[in-house]
Amino acid sequence: MSSPLARSPIPPGPATERDGWEVDARVPGGPLTLSDETPLAKVHVRAPFDGASRAALGVGFRRTRRADLGAGEVLVVGSGPGEWLVLGAPGTAGALRAAVEQRLAGTGEFTSVLDLTHGRALVRLHGAAAPAVLAGVCAIDLADAVTPDGSAFRTSVAGVVTDVVRDDLGGTQRSGAAASDNGGVRSYLLHCERSSGRYLADALLDAGRLSGLAMTGFRGLA
Amino acid sequence: MMLLPCPWCGPRNATEFRFGGEAGRRPDPASASPEEWRRYLYFHTNPAGWSTETWYHGAGCRRFLTVERHTVTHEVRAARDTATGTTGEGIS
Ligand SMILES: [Zn+2]
Repeated sequence: MSSPLARSPIPPGPATERDGWEVDARVPGGPLTLSDETPLAKVHVRAPFDGASRAALGVGFRRTRRADLGAGEVLVVGSGPGEWLVLGAPGTAGALRAAVEQRLAGTGEFTSVLDLTHGRALVRLHGAAAPAVLAGVCAIDLADAVTPDGSAFRTSVAGVVTDVVRDDLGGTQRSGAAASDNGGVRSYLLHCERSSGRYLADALLDAGRLSGLAMTGFRGLA
Repeated sequence: MMLLPCPWCGPRNATEFRFGGEAGRRPDPASASPEEWRRYLYFHTNPAGWSTETWYHGAGCRRFLTVERHTVTHEVRAARDTATGTTGEGIS
Protein backbone atom coordinates (compact mmCIF):
# COMPACT_ATOMS: atom_id res chain seq x y z
CA MET A 1 0.00 0.00 0.00
CA SER A 2 1.36 3.42 -0.89
CA SER A 3 1.41 6.11 1.76
CA PRO A 4 -1.46 8.63 1.69
CA LEU A 5 -1.03 11.77 -0.39
CA ALA A 6 -1.90 15.08 1.29
CA ARG A 7 -3.80 17.61 -0.76
CA SER A 8 -4.29 21.34 -0.42
CA PRO A 9 -7.83 22.79 -0.56
CA ILE A 10 -6.62 24.79 -3.58
CA PRO A 11 -6.69 22.62 -6.74
CA PRO A 12 -3.27 22.51 -8.48
CA GLY A 13 -2.50 22.96 -12.15
CA PRO A 14 -0.28 20.15 -13.42
CA ALA A 15 0.43 18.22 -10.24
CA THR A 16 3.41 16.33 -8.94
CA GLU A 17 4.28 14.70 -5.65
CA ARG A 18 6.71 16.09 -3.11
CA ASP A 19 7.27 15.01 0.49
CA GLY A 20 3.88 13.34 0.65
CA TRP A 21 2.03 16.32 -0.82
CA GLU A 22 0.40 16.94 -4.14
CA VAL A 23 1.99 20.19 -5.37
CA ASP A 24 1.61 22.38 -8.41
CA ALA A 25 4.42 21.26 -10.73
CA ARG A 26 4.84 24.51 -12.66
CA VAL A 27 8.15 26.32 -12.34
CA PRO A 28 7.38 29.40 -10.24
CA GLY A 29 7.76 32.56 -12.27
CA GLY A 30 6.05 35.64 -13.63
CA PRO A 31 5.85 39.27 -12.56
CA LEU A 32 2.78 38.85 -10.33
CA THR A 33 1.90 35.43 -9.01
CA LEU A 34 -0.10 33.51 -6.47
CA SER A 35 1.36 30.19 -5.35
CA ASP A 36 -0.13 27.55 -3.10
CA GLU A 37 2.26 27.07 -0.16
CA THR A 38 -0.07 24.88 1.88
CA PRO A 39 2.46 21.97 1.93
CA LEU A 40 4.82 23.99 4.16
CA ALA A 41 4.95 22.70 7.74
CA LYS A 42 2.92 24.93 10.06
CA VAL A 43 3.49 24.77 13.79
CA HIS A 44 1.51 26.96 16.15
CA VAL A 45 2.90 28.08 19.51
CA ARG A 46 1.13 29.63 22.47
CA ALA A 47 3.10 31.07 25.37
CA PRO A 48 3.15 34.16 27.59
CA PHE A 49 3.37 37.33 25.52
CA ASP A 50 6.66 38.67 26.77
CA GLY A 51 8.62 36.03 28.65
CA ALA A 52 11.32 33.42 28.22
CA SER A 53 9.47 31.70 25.35
CA ARG A 54 9.50 34.88 23.34
CA ALA A 55 13.24 35.13 23.94
CA ALA A 56 13.69 31.49 22.92
CA LEU A 57 11.74 32.03 19.68
CA GLY A 58 13.65 35.24 19.05
CA VAL A 59 10.77 37.33 17.79
CA GLY A 60 7.77 39.16 19.23
CA PHE A 61 4.27 40.03 18.11
CA ARG A 62 3.98 41.60 14.64
CA ARG A 63 7.53 40.64 13.51
CA THR A 64 9.14 37.71 11.70
CA ARG A 65 12.53 36.08 11.74
CA ARG A 66 14.35 33.43 9.73
CA ALA A 67 16.05 30.94 11.99
CA ASP A 68 17.04 27.33 12.48
CA LEU A 69 15.26 25.94 15.53
CA GLY A 70 16.74 22.49 15.03
CA ALA A 71 14.80 21.20 12.02
CA GLY A 72 16.14 23.25 9.11
CA GLU A 73 15.54 26.87 8.19
CA VAL A 74 12.15 28.15 9.27
CA LEU A 75 10.23 31.40 9.29
CA VAL A 76 9.09 32.34 12.80
CA VAL A 77 6.12 34.70 12.80
CA GLY A 78 4.82 36.65 15.81
CA SER A 79 1.22 36.14 14.72
CA GLY A 80 -0.60 37.35 17.83
CA PRO A 81 -0.03 38.45 21.43
CA GLY A 82 1.39 35.25 22.91
CA GLU A 83 1.00 33.41 19.59
CA TRP A 84 3.60 32.33 17.08
CA LEU A 85 3.46 30.52 13.74
CA VAL A 86 6.53 28.58 12.63
CA LEU A 87 6.74 27.70 8.93
CA GLY A 88 9.15 25.05 7.66
CA ALA A 89 9.85 22.87 4.64
CA PRO A 90 7.24 20.30 3.57
CA GLY A 91 7.44 17.03 5.45
CA THR A 92 9.24 18.49 8.48
CA ALA A 93 6.20 19.23 10.67
CA GLY A 94 6.75 16.41 13.15
CA ALA A 95 10.44 17.16 13.64
CA LEU A 96 9.75 20.89 13.78
CA ARG A 97 7.05 20.51 16.42
CA ALA A 98 9.37 18.37 18.53
CA ALA A 99 12.26 20.83 18.08
CA VAL A 100 10.15 23.82 19.12
CA GLU A 101 8.73 21.93 22.09
CA GLN A 102 12.22 20.98 23.22
CA ARG A 103 13.42 24.56 22.83
CA LEU A 104 10.57 25.86 24.99
CA ALA A 105 10.77 23.10 27.60
CA GLY A 106 13.54 24.91 29.46
CA THR A 107 11.59 28.15 29.87
CA GLY A 108 9.44 26.87 32.71
CA GLU A 109 6.48 28.66 31.12
CA PHE A 110 3.15 27.12 30.26
CA THR A 111 3.29 26.65 26.50
CA SER A 112 1.51 24.67 23.82
CA VAL A 113 3.00 23.59 20.50
CA LEU A 114 0.62 22.25 17.85
CA ASP A 115 1.11 20.94 14.33
CA LEU A 116 -1.54 22.73 12.24
CA THR A 117 -0.12 21.76 8.85
CA HIS A 118 -3.21 19.92 7.64
CA GLY A 119 -5.68 22.32 9.22
CA ARG A 120 -4.60 25.49 7.47
CA ALA A 121 -4.11 26.88 4.00
CA LEU A 122 -1.20 29.07 2.94
CA VAL A 123 -0.62 31.07 -0.24
CA ARG A 124 2.05 33.50 -1.38
CA LEU A 125 1.21 36.67 -3.28
CA HIS A 126 4.40 37.72 -5.02
CA GLY A 127 5.38 40.61 -7.27
CA ALA A 128 5.89 44.36 -7.28
CA ALA A 129 2.15 44.91 -7.70
CA ALA A 130 1.24 42.62 -4.78
CA PRO A 131 0.34 45.49 -2.44
CA ALA A 132 -2.08 46.93 -5.00
CA VAL A 133 -3.85 43.56 -5.26
CA LEU A 134 -3.93 43.06 -1.50
CA ALA A 135 -5.19 46.60 -0.93
CA GLY A 136 -8.31 45.67 -2.86
CA VAL A 137 -9.36 43.08 -0.28
CA CYS A 138 -7.65 44.26 2.92
CA ALA A 139 -7.92 47.55 4.84
CA ILE A 140 -4.39 47.63 6.27
CA ASP A 141 -1.85 50.26 5.21
CA LEU A 142 0.73 48.31 3.20
CA ALA A 143 3.26 51.15 2.90
CA ASP A 144 6.85 50.45 3.95
CA ALA A 145 6.54 52.88 6.84
CA VAL A 146 3.66 50.92 8.39
CA THR A 147 4.22 47.31 7.35
CA PRO A 148 7.85 46.87 6.25
CA ASP A 149 9.44 43.60 5.20
CA GLY A 150 9.40 41.25 8.17
CA SER A 151 6.12 42.48 9.61
CA ALA A 152 3.06 40.37 10.34
CA PHE A 153 -0.53 41.11 11.23
CA ARG A 154 -3.87 39.37 11.42
CA THR A 155 -6.81 40.99 9.75
CA SER A 156 -9.79 40.41 7.49
CA VAL A 157 -8.76 39.65 3.89
CA ALA A 158 -11.75 39.40 1.55
CA GLY A 159 -13.79 38.73 4.69
CA VAL A 160 -11.56 35.86 5.88
CA VAL A 161 -9.52 36.13 9.07
CA THR A 162 -5.98 35.83 7.73
CA ASP A 163 -2.44 36.02 9.06
CA VAL A 164 -0.62 38.28 6.63
CA VAL A 165 3.18 38.02 6.64
CA ARG A 166 5.32 40.33 4.57
CA ASP A 167 8.24 38.22 3.43
CA ASP A 168 9.99 39.90 0.51
CA LEU A 169 12.13 37.58 -1.60
CA GLY A 170 15.50 38.15 -3.19
CA GLY A 171 16.58 41.15 -1.12
CA THR A 172 19.94 41.79 0.45
CA GLN A 173 18.62 41.48 4.01
CA ARG A 174 16.44 38.77 5.41
CA SER A 175 13.12 39.29 7.14
CA GLY A 176 13.39 40.86 10.53
CA ALA A 177 15.75 43.55 9.38
CA ALA A 178 14.70 47.04 10.35
CA ALA A 179 15.34 48.46 6.90
CA SER A 180 12.17 48.66 4.87
CA ASP A 181 13.72 48.87 1.44
CA ASN A 182 16.12 45.96 1.03
CA GLY A 183 15.85 45.61 -2.73
CA GLY A 184 13.71 42.47 -2.56
CA VAL A 185 10.50 41.79 -4.44
CA ARG A 186 7.28 42.36 -2.49
CA SER A 187 5.87 39.13 -1.22
CA TYR A 188 3.09 38.27 1.21
CA LEU A 189 2.28 34.95 2.83
CA LEU A 190 -1.41 34.60 3.64
CA HIS A 191 -2.41 31.97 6.18
CA CYS A 192 -6.01 31.01 6.99
CA GLU A 193 -8.24 28.11 8.01
CA ARG A 194 -8.07 25.28 5.51
CA SER A 195 -11.81 25.46 4.79
CA SER A 196 -11.43 29.10 3.65
CA GLY A 197 -8.28 28.49 1.59
CA ARG A 198 -9.85 27.92 -1.79
CA TYR A 199 -12.16 30.89 -1.38
CA LEU A 200 -9.24 33.12 -0.34
CA ALA A 201 -7.17 32.05 -3.35
CA ASP A 202 -10.11 32.66 -5.69
CA ALA A 203 -10.83 36.05 -4.11
CA LEU A 204 -7.20 37.10 -4.55
CA LEU A 205 -7.11 35.92 -8.18
CA ASP A 206 -10.29 37.89 -8.75
CA ALA A 207 -8.86 41.02 -7.10
CA GLY A 208 -5.68 40.68 -9.17
CA ARG A 209 -7.30 39.96 -12.52
CA LEU A 210 -6.75 43.47 -13.91
CA SER A 211 -3.16 43.51 -12.63
CA GLY A 212 -2.37 40.24 -14.44
CA LEU A 213 -2.16 38.03 -11.34
CA ALA A 214 -1.65 34.37 -12.28
CA MET A 215 -1.32 31.09 -10.43
CA THR A 216 2.16 29.56 -10.44
CA GLY A 217 3.96 26.55 -8.96
CA PHE A 218 4.99 25.88 -5.36
CA ARG A 219 7.87 28.13 -4.19
CA GLY A 220 8.61 27.17 -0.62
CA LEU A 221 10.35 29.48 1.83
CA ALA A 222 13.42 30.22 -0.32
CA MET B 1 -15.83 53.15 8.05
CA MET B 2 -15.78 53.13 11.85
CA LEU B 3 -12.28 52.74 13.28
CA LEU B 4 -11.39 51.31 16.67
CA PRO B 5 -7.85 51.68 18.04
CA CYS B 6 -6.86 48.17 19.12
CA PRO B 7 -4.04 48.37 21.69
CA TRP B 8 -2.37 45.36 20.04
CA CYS B 9 -3.10 45.79 16.33
CA GLY B 10 -3.53 49.54 15.83
CA PRO B 11 -6.53 51.23 14.21
CA ARG B 12 -8.86 48.68 12.63
CA ASN B 13 -12.22 48.62 10.90
CA ALA B 14 -14.96 48.08 13.50
CA THR B 15 -16.28 45.13 11.45
CA GLU B 16 -13.24 43.16 12.71
CA PHE B 17 -14.62 43.37 16.25
CA ARG B 18 -17.61 41.95 18.08
CA PHE B 19 -19.40 44.37 20.37
CA GLY B 20 -19.69 43.04 23.90
CA GLY B 21 -21.88 45.77 25.36
CA GLU B 22 -21.28 47.96 28.37
CA ALA B 23 -18.44 46.69 30.49
CA GLY B 24 -19.48 45.59 33.94
CA ARG B 25 -18.58 43.10 36.57
CA ARG B 26 -20.39 39.79 36.20
CA PRO B 27 -22.27 38.76 39.37
CA ASP B 28 -20.92 35.79 41.30
CA PRO B 29 -22.80 32.78 39.87
CA ALA B 30 -22.79 31.09 43.28
CA SER B 31 -24.55 33.86 45.16
CA ALA B 32 -26.30 36.18 42.65
CA SER B 33 -30.09 36.44 42.86
CA PRO B 34 -32.27 36.25 39.71
CA GLU B 35 -32.87 39.97 40.11
CA GLU B 36 -29.12 40.67 40.03
CA TRP B 37 -28.74 38.52 36.91
CA ARG B 38 -31.58 40.35 35.16
CA ARG B 39 -30.00 43.70 35.97
CA TYR B 40 -26.62 42.50 34.73
CA LEU B 41 -27.99 41.03 31.49
CA TYR B 42 -30.71 43.45 30.46
CA PHE B 43 -30.40 46.78 32.30
CA HIS B 44 -27.93 49.15 30.67
CA THR B 45 -27.16 52.82 31.08
CA ASN B 46 -27.20 53.51 27.32
CA PRO B 47 -25.68 56.98 27.71
CA ALA B 48 -25.59 59.60 24.98
CA GLY B 49 -22.00 60.27 25.91
CA TRP B 50 -19.02 58.40 27.30
CA SER B 51 -19.50 54.68 27.68
CA THR B 52 -17.10 51.98 28.85
CA GLU B 53 -17.57 48.97 26.60
CA THR B 54 -16.20 45.51 25.89
CA TRP B 55 -15.10 44.68 22.36
CA TYR B 56 -13.63 41.42 21.08
CA HIS B 57 -11.08 41.62 18.26
CA GLY B 58 -11.99 38.35 16.56
CA ALA B 59 -10.34 39.13 13.21
CA GLY B 60 -7.11 40.37 14.79
CA CYS B 61 -5.41 39.70 18.11
CA ARG B 62 -8.40 37.72 19.46
CA ARG B 63 -8.27 39.64 22.73
CA PHE B 64 -11.09 41.18 24.79
CA LEU B 65 -10.71 44.94 25.03
CA THR B 66 -12.13 47.60 27.33
CA VAL B 67 -12.86 50.72 25.32
CA GLU B 68 -14.05 54.16 26.44
CA ARG B 69 -16.11 55.42 23.55
CA HIS B 70 -18.36 58.45 23.09
CA THR B 71 -21.62 57.11 21.70
CA VAL B 72 -22.50 60.38 19.97
CA THR B 73 -19.19 61.38 18.36
CA HIS B 74 -17.59 57.92 18.29
CA GLU B 75 -14.44 59.45 19.77
CA VAL B 76 -12.38 56.82 21.61
CA ARG B 77 -10.32 58.16 24.50
CA ALA B 78 -8.98 54.90 25.95
CA ALA B 79 -8.58 51.27 24.88
CA ARG B 80 -6.84 48.54 26.82
CA ASP B 81 -6.61 44.76 26.94
CA THR B 82 -9.21 43.71 29.51
CA ALA B 83 -7.06 40.94 30.99
CA THR B 84 -3.56 42.44 30.90
CA GLY B 85 -4.27 46.18 30.87
CA THR B 86 -2.00 46.60 27.84
CA THR B 87 -2.55 49.97 26.22
CA GLY B 88 -0.35 49.41 23.20
CA GLU B 89 2.67 51.44 24.22
CA GLY B 90 5.94 49.59 23.95
CA ILE B 91 4.66 46.62 21.95
CA SER B 92 7.30 45.46 19.52
ZN1 LIG C 1 -6.38 43.54 18.02
